[in-house]
Amino acid sequence: MALTLNDRLPIPPKNAEVKNVTCEFCIVGCGYKSYKWPLGKEGTYKDNALGIDLSQQQPTYGEWCSERMYNTITDRDGGKYNLMVIPDQACVVNVGQNSVRGGMMGVSTFNAASPTRDRLKDPQIFRGGMLMESSWEEATSIIAKVYKKIIDNDGADEISHKTFDHGGGGGGFENTWGTGKLFHAAIGTASASIHNRPAYNSEVHSSREMGVGELNSSYYDTSISDTMLVIGCNPYECQTNLFNLHMQANLDGSTLEAKKKEYDKGESVSKGKIIFVDPRRTASITNSIAIAGKENVLHLQIKPGQDITLMNALVSYIIEQGWEAKEFIKNHTENFDAMYKVNKVSLEYASALTNISVSDIKKAAEWIAKPKPSGHRPRNAIYYEKGIIWGIKNYENVASIVNLALLTHSVGRVGTGVCRAGGHQEGYTRPEYHGPSRQNLAVIDTDIIEGKYLVYSIWGTNPFGQSIATQRLRNAVSKRSQIVKDAINGYHGNDLDELCDIIYNACKSGGLFVVDVDIYPTQSSERAHIVLPAATTMEMNLTSMSGERRMRLSEKVMDAPGTAKPDCLIAADIANALKAEYLKSGNKVMAKRFEGFEWKNEEDSFKDGFAGQGSKMASQGGSTGTLATYKLLRDAGNNGVQLPIVKVENGKLIGTRLNYTDGKFGTKSGRATFLSTPQPAMPKQVAKQVKRYKYWVNTGRINEVWQSNYHTGRLEFTAKRWPMAPLEIHPSDAKELGITSGDIVQLNNDYGSTRAIAIVTDAVRKGEVFGAFGFQNSIINDLCTDYVDPDTKIPFYKGTAANIVKVGRSEGLIKDMTFLERA
Amino acid sequence: MEIVEAKQTRRDFFKFSALSLGAVVATPSLIAGTAHPGMSVYGGYTKNRVGSLAQLKKTGELDFSYPDENALCKAVYVNNEVKAYSIICTHKGCPTVYNQEKAMFECPCHFTKYDAKNNGQMVIGQATGALPRVLLEIRGDDIFAMGVDGLIFGRINNNVG
Ligand code: SF4
Ligand code: FES
Repeated sequence: MALTLNDRLPIPPKNAEVKNVTCEFCIVGCGYKSYKWPLGKEGTYKDNALGIDLSQQQPTYGEWCSERMYNTITDRDGGKYNLMVIPDQACVVNVGQNSVRGGMMGVSTFNAASPTRDRLKDPQIFRGGMLMESSWEEATSIIAKVYKKIIDNDGADEISHKTFDHGGGGGGFENTWGTGKLFHAAIGTASASIHNRPAYNSEVHSSREMGVGELNSSYYDTSISDTMLVIGCNPYECQTNLFNLHMQANLDGSTLEAKKKEYDKGESVSKGKIIFVDPRRTASITNSIAIAGKENVLHLQIKPGQDITLMNALVSYIIEQGWEAKEFIKNHTENFDAMYKVNKVSLEYASALTNISVSDIKKAAEWIAKPKPSGHRPRNAIYYEKGIIWGIKNYENVASIVNLALLTHSVGRVGTGVCRAGGHQEGYTRPEYHGPSRQNLAVIDTDIIEGKYLVYSIWGTNPFGQSIATQRLRNAVSKRSQIVKDAINGYHGNDLDELCDIIYNACKSGGLFVVDVDIYPTQSSERAHIVLPAATTMEMNLTSMSGERRMRLSEKVMDAPGTAKPDCLIAADIANALKAEYLKSGNKVMAKRFEGFEWKNEEDSFKDGFAGQGSKMASQGGSTGTLATYKLLRDAGNNGVQLPIVKVENGKLIGTRLNYTDGKFGTKSGRATFLSTPQPAMPKQVAKQVKRYKYWVNTGRINEVWQSNYHTGRLEFTAKRWPMAPLEIHPSDAKELGITSGDIVQLNNDYGSTRAIAIVTDAVRKGEVFGAFGFQNSIINDLCTDYVDPDTKIPFYKGTAANIVKVGRSEGLIKDMTFLERA
Repeated sequence: MEIVEAKQTRRDFFKFSALSLGAVVATPSLIAGTAHPGMSVYGGYTKNRVGSLAQLKKTGELDFSYPDENALCKAVYVNNEVKAYSIICTHKGCPTVYNQEKAMFECPCHFTKYDAKNNGQMVIGQATGALPRVLLEIRGDDIFAMGVDGLIFGRINNNVG
């Protein structure tokens, strides 16, 4: 009876099972402890697993389990348990603090009497006009038979797939290895794309090509920087404990002592300042002002799409003032002159384009580069995220920021860094992807709309809400999937070879065979012919790394629902089924390609991939990943180790706090490379929308909703708080449209139409609206164009335009919403 | 502030819990939020007079402690209704500050905000839900606290501390 005890929780007894769990949500990767003990058993106030006197009111910041950190769970043997998942005081990342997301890990676990009840439990197959329960053997053998036929007759590239490649959220090195080995090596298809984008590409190609890995610093270094520069990124809502612990400590002066210790002798030390580049007034900005005062917070309210001009202007002004890091540039970089020749702009020109005053640009440049009273160069912690990555032109957007970092030696130095702030945690270990160069990558989701490929395998993601032009994608896949569904409906026998011939033939006449692997039903499973249920965080052992490359083992706490399995073992099942098919047909050569999947559990995948391959494969563990073991990681607990691992000393993993401290960068020459980053024009698809439709549409995350809203769209608190995607709209636009907060509005453009709930606020500017992404019932990406950066194939999710009309109001829908000012 | 202790037996409490919300409202009372089916499985709340309705209407807010002196609460008068909450932020336990103009409880520690009109719903922030609501009964000018719906920060059971 979870969720009905709302003024008390059971007490974990001393012998409760305690495990380390890394938060399954954002990239910060906070540490949690789980406590599991049999239902009906309790400890006492004085004698309990938490080791505190529970008869007392706990102090501020004390240990506490909120109702939503708690659940009741059932293991496969029928055993029923209490479960608490509470933030770990001993973890240096979060020091016992949770965000709204991490604090809901308990209630997010599977409980058949709760909103998580509709987790996928058993394999399903489309027969008789609907999805029906199947067995793992039947489901994987159908997949294998269809795939084999395609590989043999049409080539592996006809099997397109969209597969998660992240850590956290059920991802991790085990699962990216399993799926990567299946698709890249065994099946050998290059028709790949990643969970949140339509191609198989990096979000930070340019940074890497400049020799600067995108996660090169640590949260501690952020907390001891002089200036934090935060671009297209709202850390209070999206990387919460990076903001609440580390940035806040810098702004309020809590880290002054640490600065004195870490800085050079005689170097000036003061409370941190922070600069935000964002078209909106975000909660991060208002909260920073509350912490540090207006005088230490600078909001550069940029015109959307003009970030490159702003970065170029900062670079130009800093060079004009002679504030650039001359020694560092000379000794550790290249291509400086060529960069400056192209990027040089005047402040007046930049001000006109960016809508930021000349004096504010100068002020930002001073905070970033003007020597401190002691003569030392300021230490800058630079963060960028989706406002840049999903911006007007991914390649130059990111490169222009790294230019500024190199110019001011904001990398490889204590108290500095130039990092993506990140979404999910990371967990990438895969065989090399043998696709074409980044300029020639297939844009899978556009290809699918155009009728290409015979298979669309969707793994741990819902592209129908989170790709480009999603309404078109949904429509196209519905039609093509239906061709296969109709063919299956016409067959009433149970000969799998016959069935697979029918599926194959339907695919050859315009159909698309859709396989969906996930933890909940989605718009993908609606269109799928085979649905496989996966395990997620806490249901398996998983290793991931955070935004400061902190790797942890997040332990298995409970069984996955039904017969759901870890993704790596699902990949192994498919590979083994393919191997069996090839052996049956006497093709030993092909059967050999599907060898090496004899894994009994997720640790086998870890040993084969992350810990087995070292630098032989593309791995975030690098060549020293081979030093990692589950045992060492378990012992390292929630503080884990920051990759790359340097060595193992007395049974302890020793890692790396900061990258590039030796001034050697990831290029052939070892020098970091400046890049020319001219401001691009508005892409023509987007320009056309702007011309035809009145409101600029920006999109992004909100605090309480995680990614595709898979848990949070179900959980009682968050589902009521945000029953549909909110759309922030300026009061004067709202007045003109007759809209008040809470109204349902409809947005439309050439690509699609969607709905949202209006939130009237001056956090956005007139003519610009902001819609939350990730909602399955109100998909803002339906308005997104099909434009991608030609150099990286990364979309401009945050740039489109639409018209808006008021639809009406549904008081029941918004009963539990609040419309008070968030920022 | 005057707190009238009106000790209730456990049986009385369950009698109260068993009443439908409508029946309680039918006595001229205002209750913050809806009763939760599993509320007060432990009972043990005493019925305390926490202040005067006339006074609350005048000042807009009224501090009291409930269910014991370690549990800071505030009654507010918003939208012609009386609502009362535990003011201890359910993120990490800082006392929130009531912003009467915005009818919002604001936490100075990590900026969680709660809507006083809307059952303490979280406006933005890092708690995992609304502020705990103090269930009230109003008889004439007397406001009584009857129970707390939602776990108070720092407690495994609202009736410890
Ligand atoms: S800040 Fe991120 S990692 Fe930490 S608890 Fe919140 S969602 Fe989880
Ligand atoms: S304690 Fe209130 S926001 Fe953290």
